[in-house]
Amino acid sequence: MGAFFESMDGKTHRPTRRTGRTDTGRIALRFVSLLLASAFWCGQSAAQSTNQFGTKPPAPGKAAEIEQPTVVTATPASLINIGERLAIPSSTEATVPSTESEASSTPPTQFRIERLPMIGGAELLTIFGRLDGMRTNGLPAPEVPLVSVVRDTLSDNDPENDRLRYVWMLTYTQPTMLKRIASAIPFFYRHVGSKRQASSGPPAPLLDLSNTSRQTWNRFFWMGLQNVFLDSYGIPLKAASRSYRQNAADYRTAHATQALSILGNYENLRQRLRDESELLALNQGSASNQTSTRDEGLNDTMTPLLPERSPAFTPGEMLELRARLILSGKTFGGFLGPDKFNDTVEKGSAASVDTIGHNWEMLRQRAEAEGLYFQPLNMPDGRPTHVLLWLSKSDLATQSDRSFSKRFLNIANPWSDLRLRNWNGYAQAQYFDSDNRPTTADNPEARRLEMIPLALYGLDHPKIPALLIDFRDDLNPKGREVSRRVLNDLTKNIFSLSSFGNLPYFLGRNAYKFITGRRGIDLNQPSRLKSYSELKLLLSFNGSLDPRLQREIEQRLEIISVNPLNNDSQSEIQLARQQYDSLVDFARRPDGLSARIERDRRAEMVPLQHGSLSRFFINLGNIVSFGRYVHRERETPELLARLELARRTERHTNFLSRIAKSSPQTEVAWDMSTVKHSLQFLADQGADANGSAARATALIFQRTSDPEARRLCLDALSKINNKSAKKALISLYRQESSDSEWRLVIAEHLRKAVAEDIHMKPPEVRAVLSQVGAP
Amino acid sequence: MRSFAERPSSNRIQPQVSAFLPGILVHLSVTVLVALLWAVTASAQARATRVVIIKIDGLPYEMVERFEREHDPMTGRSLLPWFDNVFFKNGTRLTNFYVRGMSLSAPSWSTLDTGQHLQIKGNVEFDRDILRTYDYLNFIPFYFKQGTGSNVDMPGTEVLDSLGVPILIDAYDNYQRNTGSQLYGRGARMDTLRRAGQTKFLRNPKELAGEFLSGLDLRDVVPDELERELIESLSDQRVHYLDFYTTSFDHMAHHNNDRASHLAALREIDGLIGRIWTGIQKSQLGSETVLVVVSDHGFNTDERVISQGFNLVRLLGSSAGGGHHVITKRRLLMDYSLKSINPFVPPITTASSQSYYLQKQSAEYPTALLDFDGNERAGLHLRNSDLNLLHILLQQLQRKDLSPRLRRAATDAFFVAVARDKTRWQDELDQLDEELGALRRAIEKQRALCESQPKQFTVQDKEMGRDDNARRVCVLAAQWTAQQKAYRAYVATMRNLLSLRPESFDPFKLRIAEVIPEDSMGQRNSIHDLQNYVVGPAPAGLVLKSDGSLDLERSFLRVNYLTLIQEQTVRNNVQQGVTNRPVDFIATRIPRTALASVLSQDLQPDDDAVWLDGGPDRQALVLPRGEAQGQLRLRYLPIAHLTQDEQGAIHFDLAPWQQGLPLRLLDDPRLDVPLDARVAWLNEWHTDVEWLHAAHKTQYSNGLIGLHEQFTLFPTPGTDVKAAGLSDDERLLHRFKSRQRRLVETDMMIVANNHWNFDVRGFNPGGNHGAFFRISTHATLMFAGGEGTGVPRGLAVSEPYDSLSVTPTILALTGNLLPDNAPVDSLAKRGFTKFPGRVIQEVTSAAGSQPAQRQ
Repeated sequence: MGAFFESMDGKTHRPTRRTGRTDTGRIALRFVSLLLASAFWCGQSAAQSTNQFGTKPPAPGKAAEIEQPTVVTATPASLINIGERLAIPSSTEATVPSTESEASSTPPTQFRIERLPMIGGAELLTIFGRLDGMRTNGLPAPEVPLVSVVRDTLSDNDPENDRLRYVWMLTYTQPTMLKRIASAIPFFYRHVGSKRQASSGPPAPLLDLSNTSRQTWNRFFWMGLQNVFLDSYGIPLKAASRSYRQNAADYRTAHATQALSILGNYENLRQRLRDESELLALNQGSASNQTSTRDEGLNDTMTPLLPERSPAFTPGEMLELRARLILSGKTFGGFLGPDKFNDTVEKGSAASVDTIGHNWEMLRQRAEAEGLYFQPLNMPDGRPTHVLLWLSKSDLATQSDRSFSKRFLNIANPWSDLRLRNWNGYAQAQYFDSDNRPTTADNPEARRLEMIPLALYGLDHPKIPALLIDFRDDLNPKGREVSRRVLNDLTKNIFSLSSFGNLPYFLGRNAYKFITGRRGIDLNQPSRLKSYSELKLLLSFNGSLDPRLQREIEQRLEIISVNPLNNDSQSEIQLARQQYDSLVDFARRPDGLSARIERDRRAEMVPLQHGSLSRFFINLGNIVSFGRYVHRERETPELLARLELARRTERHTNFLSRIAKSSPQTEVAWDMSTVKHSLQFLADQGADANGSAARATALIFQRTSDPEARRLCLDALSKINNKSAKKALISLYRQESSDSEWRLVIAEHLRKAVAEDIHMKPPEVRAVLSQVGAP
Repeated sequence: MRSFAERPSSNRIQPQVSAFLPGILVHLSVTVLVALLWAVTASAQARATRVVIIKIDGLPYEMVERFEREHDPMTGRSLLPWFDNVFFKNGTRLTNFYVRGMSLSAPSWSTLDTGQHLQIKGNVEFDRDILRTYDYLNFIPFYFKQGTGSNVDMPGTEVLDSLGVPILIDAYDNYQRNTGSQLYGRGARMDTLRRAGQTKFLRNPKELAGEFLSGLDLRDVVPDELERELIESLSDQRVHYLDFYTTSFDHMAHHNNDRASHLAALREIDGLIGRIWTGIQKSQLGSETVLVVVSDHGFNTDERVISQGFNLVRLLGSSAGGGHHVITKRRLLMDYSLKSINPFVPPITTASSQSYYLQKQSAEYPTALLDFDGNERAGLHLRNSDLNLLHILLQQLQRKDLSPRLRRAATDAFFVAVARDKTRWQDELDQLDEELGALRRAIEKQRALCESQPKQFTVQDKEMGRDDNARRVCVLAAQWTAQQKAYRAYVATMRNLLSLRPESFDPFKLRIAEVIPEDSMGQRNSIHDLQNYVVGPAPAGLVLKSDGSLDLERSFLRVNYLTLIQEQTVRNNVQQGVTNRPVDFIATRIPRTALASVLSQDLQPDDDAVWLDGGPDRQALVLPRGEAQGQLRLRYLPIAHLTQDEQGAIHFDLAPWQQGLPLRLLDDPRLDVPLDARVAWLNEWHTDVEWLHAAHKTQYSNGLIGLHEQFTLFPTPGTDVKAAGLSDDERLLHRFKSRQRRLVETDMMIVANNHWNFDVRGFNPGGNHGAFFRISTHATLMFAGGEGTGVPRGLAVSEPYDSLSVTPTILALTGNLLPDNAPVDSLAKRGFTKFPGRVIQEVTSAAGSQPAQRQ
């Protein structure tokens, strides 16, 4: 049991033994208090990681020296990752040097990546962003660390055994006690100031990429605990704990949204650079192709494909990061594996583009119909995510009797609003050319209009744009923000209505949801949170807004904020810098991040030493201890070697599974040298590969006509030699026609596999040999 | 099979050889040579036995080519490896393949599927007289009607059947084909739906649970099953025609303009090609199978631009737009109405609160029909302007406060207006009456035929499609009956109107609905009507002239719709490269007779012309000649200020060639005519192929040809009243079908400027098509085949072709086309007629495949 309570820092916390009879009620109360305290303390972290940096390490003794990453030598790479590994120098894509002193002379690029190698074989990759929206007094835009990711490289240059571990959104911080208390107050939907000083310890990661399913189980465990235990101690405790958990979850979701948005922007900008260069090359290629077409007839089969420029994160890593961030918001997201990453990101991104485009157009048409002016606000990658609607003062003077439909705009009629006639709030002069296109004052044909901002909307919201700021009525968006919380809190926390246990409530709730969704109403929508979070990010990145207007928007955003855990943008920048410093310091300490990674590796070794039943109980222990207990193996060179091999095997298995499913003829869709490399690996070292590897290998055998690849498939199956592998070999044997030479080769491999399997029982051996015959 | 002796080559060789060698040697040599030549020619005489067509809605060629060239770092292959492998390396692709006509799905697929000129002119068509709607894209009512037994074929197929235009799948017997769910489909495969459900839900629970966790996706259930069945059918050697239709790219590209979404959709299609191609290769007929990928249009999508919609419904409903109650076949998204979840989509009326004289009568008297489906263009019908005038006058005459003088003047004006149109209307009603008589007799026969149809069918019967044929007979009887009833009601009301006499006229005893037909647009408006369209009474009411007659100018509010629509601008213009004017130009047909007196002899067309109105000074006429003789020539005539007077005479100014004319032919640097020779070249008549060669790379590409195709009423076997051997009733029915096609012709087609669209159903921010821009009409056509088909490998055909070429080329590849583009006899017996399009010789003759010979 000692090990059971071993916490991350290795200290052991033993429960105090109590003697004599105890009052059950008192015990229960204390236990509840303990749970509640745990909830306050680690409720968030349990949802994020099995093993948070809850125990604070000593404060940093000195400032960290950070390796400047502008040029990092490309490491030799195996075939599977040639493209990916070449990416590393392209922290170059980030392009420009990184220190802030340099930034003052040369404007930094919108994003850059800094890499910090760590002792013990890992590296910390941090995306820095240039916050144009935070530019002050003519100074250059500040550059702020935004997202950090640690990559465990096992101290070698082989990318095949690399693994991403943690993701930090550096603005995401553990709340102060005051904020925690405020967030536990039921029906307290407001901002309570900002945290200014990050804790001296390392920041809490947003995601633990190596333990996603355990995080989902933790969430279920908390849910069960809430329903079974906390809810049964009366409304105050129930309401408080639920409020806190909801706020904590929203706070985390908001930051996950921002992290996703940053990664999306970074990736889009990178892709665009690539596209532009490829387009150029394509045009050149096309031009030359046209020439050759004219000169040599029409055969163009030899037109070469364009080369790929490499990214900083490998494509697979970027996909994993984005997918995991999306999946972290889904109930069962943690259970899904790499085979779902592509779909998740593709669908998520496509849905977002669709929604934004739809809402952009809806708002533009509504603005047009109501005589308003429409100004889209863009993220750094050019994607519009929000829109400002304006009213021209001159129109107001001349069209006072104009009718107004508030449908979808959700603001009061501006034409009859006396406040606007005597407007003393923010106003701005804007200029338009003869085609009504925005222009500047120096354009001789410019038409000047004095404009009043009416509202700001978020576009990434289902069905209709979400009203985020109403410049005449702060309570309007506030009411929309609060609506969902009030409804949920009342029904669940006060009236104890549950969709699972109360049919009328279930039906009513779903009917209401259907109608509001169908009719396009932004009340009671959980998705508002996304628009709100992205607006905070946009205000930081977008330098096109007048600073006065930006301040006004920020102030109003704080007013509509319903989550006491939230911080304002300035504080978040400050916190991001502080947390980054702490993280770097933590990364540089031998007992810091590298020790953490080393412990994670030891936890990762568990499957190498324990069977499935043992692992079940180990995982159970982790869940019921709120993630405090993590079983780890003692590290030995032998076990480390096995870990290295297991990682490579897993990577090759995933790769081959993807190949097997992707194409009916492998050689058409894949470069066979990379396929053979993975097959060769399994043939050489795949003894511990699982059934998935065997199935994928067998499928590839069926879907390729490359004799070498086919032979490697059979070698791999022989090497894997588990039940699935033998089953696959038998199946392949049966599928081959009797005159096929491959049938003989398969039989040979099958006999070899049987001969080498010492665990096989004689009847099983006989059964197999009876099918293929003895040699 | 043809004998070798029929070949001209053998006749040429024989005399040359015999001149040098003695007789027996000659005979021997000739025999050997003949045998050799036969063997060589026979092997080169490639002919496909089976055709597999993947029909992809809206797949733009340029995007395919671009992604095909890009390298995927993950796979080490092209981003589209199957396109690359099957078509780019081992097949033939057309780099300049265009839609002929509008870049819209329903019209374009009709051309592709028939190889004949355009008969269906929009995704949605409205019959002006009875407001019957033809909704060619909606599958849900089709499947529903299948379930209730009230139809057999898709609406587009029914229309083509009525016109006597067969589709390509009709070249094969029912058991010889496996067809996907498509716009011009025959029969719904209800069993496929059932199997699709079974495949999706009755499977490994672990897999199902895994899919549930990641989100159950039901969109691909039916397409996946169709694909499975297609691949299974490849092993059935009796099946010689297979197709698969997918709209996934089109749907996605309407919504999303980003590269990632486009690529994802294309990769799905690429995978589909891979699976089908692999299935073909594994099949016994693999070497004799041709795989064709074809799309019906391109796509105007740009990652940097969100496509903007302009709401014509709102404009038409506004007071400035005439206060129309507007019928559309798609519900406006602005409503976000719960009603809009009705999948059967009945005609939707958007009532105007600003109607001048029909307030709260939107259900009875809609006055505009708008087909905005297709997005970069909209088709607009307005109720006949004279019907509006008569309606308003009747309303005024029913007022009790009208002064006697005004009443007298209004009554006179009413009867003058009736008299003005009477001859025309009367003729039309008389003809329609005759046709409805013939229709009634046909219905009786059809009902009798229906009664005699067998009710039970064996498996063999079903394989031959006899069950569907029997149902078609009965469905047709029911459809004709419904049509007859609707037209009769229209005729009766119009006859009431024409039978009014001044002497017995008492407006107070008259119900307007008895003389002004409800739910009808009446006759198509002339250009004069459109330029002087009556939308309501003047605000001051009826006004008298000094002579006591009604002042028609001052008594009515009129709108010049050509000007109104052309001059629309928007105040929010926030995107680079997008103008604040949503409308590019308006196009409408002008009867040849109306132009006869104003055009010089060298400009006289022999068919109706198309007027392009891009503003008072930016106009043109597209003049055709020689279509009937199969030698179409077109002329583009720049004009200005075209008007039509009340008597029907057309007036315009001839204009010089200048920049900014519709289609921008002169300005376009990609027009393949030297700059200094352009004006001279443009001032001449050219064949459609010459126009295509010169202009296909310009911004509007083959728009000139497309406009002619769109506005020409092409005769068909089912509308040809002069065909030999017709009975009187058959002749009348042919005339009736021709009338029905004329009745769906819009008053005007409104063409959007670049990156603008008229879709207000669900917005299409991702991109659109429908217009004549090259980006919208540039479609995909690729061929690949086994060794026995002779389809060239690694060939990029840069010669421009259009959609009229697809069906004849496929028939040529399968040996079903004669040298003169006529079908072989067996197909002629099935109703196929000579094809107007060019066969793509680069595909059919590269391996020496010969045209079929007449039996």
